[in-house]
Amino acid sequence: MFWSSLILLPVLGWLAFVPMQAAPQQGPTFEQEGVAFLQKHCVACHNEKTKRADVSLHFLKTPEDLLTHRKLVEKALRVVQSGEMPPNTKPRPAVAELDTFQKAIVGVYDHHDRNAKPDPGRVTVRRLNRTEYNNTIRDLVGVDFAPAEDFPSDDIGHGFDNIGDVLTLSPVLMERCLAAAESIVERAILANPPPPPERWMGSRYLEPGQDKPYTFRPLDKRGNQLNTPYRLGLEGDYLFRFRAFAKLIDNEPVKVAVLNGDKELKRFEITAPENKPQVFEVPVRLGVGDHRFFVKLLNPSGERNLHVEWFYLKGPMDTRPPSHKMLLESKASTEAERTREVIGRFASRAYRRPVTKEELDRLVGLAERVRKEGASWEASIQVAFQAVLVSPKFLFRLELNEQAPAGTKDGAVPLDEYALASRLSYFLWSSMPDQELFDLAAKGQLSANLEAQVKRMLKDPKSKALTENFAMQWLQLRRLKGHMPDPKLFPKADGYLLASLLKETELFFDAIVREDRSILDLIDADFTFLNERLSWHYGIVDTHGSTWSKKAKVPGKPIKGKEFVRVQLQPGEVRGGLLTQGSVLTVTSNPTRTSPVKRGRWVLEQILGTPPPPAPPDVPELDEKKVLTGSLRQQMEQHRANPACASCHAKMDPLGFAFENFDAVGAYRWKEAGQPIDASGELPDGRKFNGPNELKKILKENKDLIARNLAEKMLTYALGRGLEYYDKRPIDQIVAATAKNDYRMSVLIIEIVKSFPFRYQRAPQGVSEVSR
Amino acid sequence: MNPLSRRTVLKGLGATIALPWLEAMGPMVAWAAPAKGETPAPNRMAFLYVPNGKNMVDWTPKKEGADFELTPILKPLANVKEYLTVLTGLTADKARANGDGGGDHARALAAFLTGCQPRKTDGTDIRAGVSIDQVAASRLADKTRLPSLEIGGEHGAMAGNCDSGYSCVYSSTMSWKSATQPLPKEVNPKLVFERLFGGPDKDRAKREATRKSVLDFVRDDTKELTNKLGGSDRRKLEEYFASIRDIELRIARAATLPPVQVPPGASKPTGIPAKYEEHLRLMADLMVLAFQADITRVITFVLANEGSNKPYPFIGVSEGHHDLSHHGNDPKKKAKIAQINIFHVQQLAYFLERLKATKEGSGNLLDHCMVVYGSGNSDGNAHNHDDLPILLAGKGCGTIKPGRHLKYPKETPLNNLWLSLLDRMDIHVAQLGDSTGHLPGLDG
Repeated sequence: MFWSSLILLPVLGWLAFVPMQAAPQQGPTFEQEGVAFLQKHCVACHNEKTKRADVSLHFLKTPEDLLTHRKLVEKALRVVQSGEMPPNTKPRPAVAELDTFQKAIVGVYDHHDRNAKPDPGRVTVRRLNRTEYNNTIRDLVGVDFAPAEDFPSDDIGHGFDNIGDVLTLSPVLMERCLAAAESIVERAILANPPPPPERWMGSRYLEPGQDKPYTFRPLDKRGNQLNTPYRLGLEGDYLFRFRAFAKLIDNEPVKVAVLNGDKELKRFEITAPENKPQVFEVPVRLGVGDHRFFVKLLNPSGERNLHVEWFYLKGPMDTRPPSHKMLLESKASTEAERTREVIGRFASRAYRRPVTKEELDRLVGLAERVRKEGASWEASIQVAFQAVLVSPKFLFRLELNEQAPAGTKDGAVPLDEYALASRLSYFLWSSMPDQELFDLAAKGQLSANLEAQVKRMLKDPKSKALTENFAMQWLQLRRLKGHMPDPKLFPKADGYLLASLLKETELFFDAIVREDRSILDLIDADFTFLNERLSWHYGIVDTHGSTWSKKAKVPGKPIKGKEFVRVQLQPGEVRGGLLTQGSVLTVTSNPTRTSPVKRGRWVLEQILGTPPPPAPPDVPELDEKKVLTGSLRQQMEQHRANPACASCHAKMDPLGFAFENFDAVGAYRWKEAGQPIDASGELPDGRKFNGPNELKKILKENKDLIARNLAEKMLTYALGRGLEYYDKRPIDQIVAATAKNDYRMSVLIIEIVKSFPFRYQRAPQGVSEVSR
Repeated sequence: MNPLSRRTVLKGLGATIALPWLEAMGPMVAWAAPAKGETPAPNRMAFLYVPNGKNMVDWTPKKEGADFELTPILKPLANVKEYLTVLTGLTADKARANGDGGGDHARALAAFLTGCQPRKTDGTDIRAGVSIDQVAASRLADKTRLPSLEIGGEHGAMAGNCDSGYSCVYSSTMSWKSATQPLPKEVNPKLVFERLFGGPDKDRAKREATRKSVLDFVRDDTKELTNKLGGSDRRKLEEYFASIRDIELRIARAATLPPVQVPPGASKPTGIPAKYEEHLRLMADLMVLAFQADITRVITFVLANEGSNKPYPFIGVSEGHHDLSHHGNDPKKKAKIAQINIFHVQQLAYFLERLKATKEGSGNLLDHCMVVYGSGNSDGNAHNHDDLPILLAGKGCGTIKPGRHLKYPKETPLNNLWLSLLDRMDIHVAQLGDSTGHLPGLDG
């Protein structure tokens, strides 16, 4: 809670931000400037006697007082920042005065927090959210069919949908979990497998296509083969058959080969006469996917030929899906042992830690009861699995930490290896740990191998979850799904374009992670990913970044079709980095026009981590009757003429104006409402820029701020809780280590994983609830 | 805009549920048959929420009492005017900042049915208060198959940061089962239908028996868990156990209550219609059905999330609703807001007319309903929470004398209205949220 107000500080001077050290504060002190502000603006009403709104502030004199009454002070600071206080009837503090007051207070807290006792914080048990549920089921039972599709949408806290505190479990959701568990076990395990499917095909329908109504279709010199495709969903043993007779010359048999694609499976010498056609068969093992079977005449000559009646394919002989075999696999000899083995393995993976003997006894007991009532063995296992899948031990990540190493450190205990494995896998994959993580945890070697494991996990395709879930939420791009640009003004901005824009940013972020680039490349990079639709949208015509107006020195390949290709951008061109990607430019626009305010705010909030305070609750109208007129820029300038608005808008608006050459769906434009675009701006500290490239240069100078913001967002996501004051020190460490390694993405992720809050939890009875 | 003809709507619904079967269903409950019913029809309540306030000039009638005029926004309700009670002057004080700064949208919805100041937090320890519908639901739980139904016309936010430091929970949730447990709303008509009529089950009995034994098992298996967890962890577990209990009760009730048949000719909706209007009307059809078949007596329906920036291009409003609501007194923008307001009221009219057309006992369903329609914001530009736009429709089984515009003194708590509605459900609560008493005058 107070964290959110503390980070308001830099907004007043993010350009002058100095990385804070755990050193005695410089600048305004609370004893002097802080107390002076209180005296001047607050204590006339909020004193011992008057106590307006039951608040008194007169006794706040020293930094110690601030620490003792932190909640009160935080709230006071918040209402002052929001302009709620002092009330309209009193003189407003000058902007500089307010700035000093905040610095004085925040300085005290900052110094305190960075020297406070380490505290790993408390993570509320996290229910698997929809994405995590789907991915976990995919990895647990090997069936990928999004069973959580019908779950109610997950609520969002601290910017993410994996926050334990806001993930609730309503009766409706519980009903869905029950139904999902049923359909999962029914799909993964077939209690009554169907007979093997059979596929018949009359020869007149075989390829090559023709239109004669043959019963027996001849193969001869002119056409010596017949074939047909099969698309198979299951691996297994199949049986291929065809029925045919031969016409011989000189009693020489007709030689025939059966092929799957270009692989010959078997040869036949056929002599069956016309009045006695024969069936020929080839048993074959086939994999999932597309196959094409051929029957080919090898020795065509004159009148010698083959007449084929039909093709037939049966299989797989075992119709149980791979998930069935995997889940029920057992070498045990008795049914009782099999039950125990199968349930124990499943529950241990589902609970993401070894199942205890008592737990297993109970589950086995359940299965045996069902079996005794007359169900098949498979059906009894299904019920036990269902019970596992609706158990809180599966639905929640409990982190009971029962196998934690002994000993505490500063009132904290290290997470046990299984809990650590889950934290890692849900952070990077949004799913359960894989076998390698489980194995390491079982041997107690995971914490010693974190760095290597993170690197391995990031290479795994499952790590795209980090892009889809972390990055897309961080950048607020999930909103694009509900965004509807005005179809009249932007007729080309259809669903396909919006989906393509989103994909571009996903691929871009993914590349930064996989190629282990600097996180500063997010701000400005010389590459992106485009498909044909986007290449038109951006006016970039080939993979070397040639534009309509400027060819690249060495022209690249044209960009065609739906597939995305990597595009090298020419130096000095307008695109490059997140800020000029259409996804971001669109999501920060209104449906009908651009919004420099939203764009500016997005930069402050998502990139720099210095959100502006919310607009004061009672913004006075510029003039009750007056309507804002002129160009967008002029209207905004009128808006800023209002001192209540000016201080924050002076920070947001110029940032947004830099991107005015991009319209509300991110396409480049030269004019707005007939007027040439003015993309210049001046920051509050006087630095001037023109257009996005110059602004990006200025932004990139704020390396520490950018890294800190990303570290905070990522740690929030990794932990599933909001950050608190005691997290400042770990954040400092993460940022410092990342900076030392050229801001490489992998270093940031590894440092988060190695950080104190990620690897520890509060000791059971140690630290009491921290609130001051 | 022309009101859609019924034909268009039905065509739009396509393979989904359509009207004729509502009539074709025949009596579904004991009191449905006219005249000789010995069981009187029960009272029902529905709460329909629309975001971002109203263009109040076009909402509030000038005249008080029975000869109030239908203002531009209320005009679509002409066919049910005799069922309307327009309530002016009610206030949701807990939607105000009260020292918490910005966030009027989040607070407006969170305080609407709770009358409690929502705790300002982006996620940690969310808290509002128990909502009026859930007070009713908990008392009526054993009477109907579902204690309550929570539905909506817009999914919860797709990204964080909903409103000035308030978690998105607040601006997308109307029903709170407890101060700490918001109830997510169902947006997909297909799933609402399944909730009303059960899943696609052939052998439900067997399935429910298995479910029951699975739930029994899980409860038994996790008994010791609660002791190992503390604080908010324990609260989450309690939520879990409460949900299990709810399901078990529902299964048990299903065994004693008469079976609910899927009405002849009705087929399950296939999903969320692409057109917002069809979506809302389909939800209205489902609400009518839920009341008619007495599957539940309490419904909340959030037409769009508070602060929603949905554009309404199909009625010529391409700008986002929230962006527009900060109209800066631009008459063009105000006119467009009124257009959106009118659109929403047209959907309300559809719902009310459906209720009125559904016979029940010697009257119709609307005679036995209390439908509240309104917003926790008054003017979207000013973000004020007094003088809210609140409309009550229905006769509440004869306990309400509608067809009037009632004005209350400034700062009359909205929660006083809720207490008075609860009374009419035979639920007597002395105080709830920030209520200061009951709202006089509803019965004339």
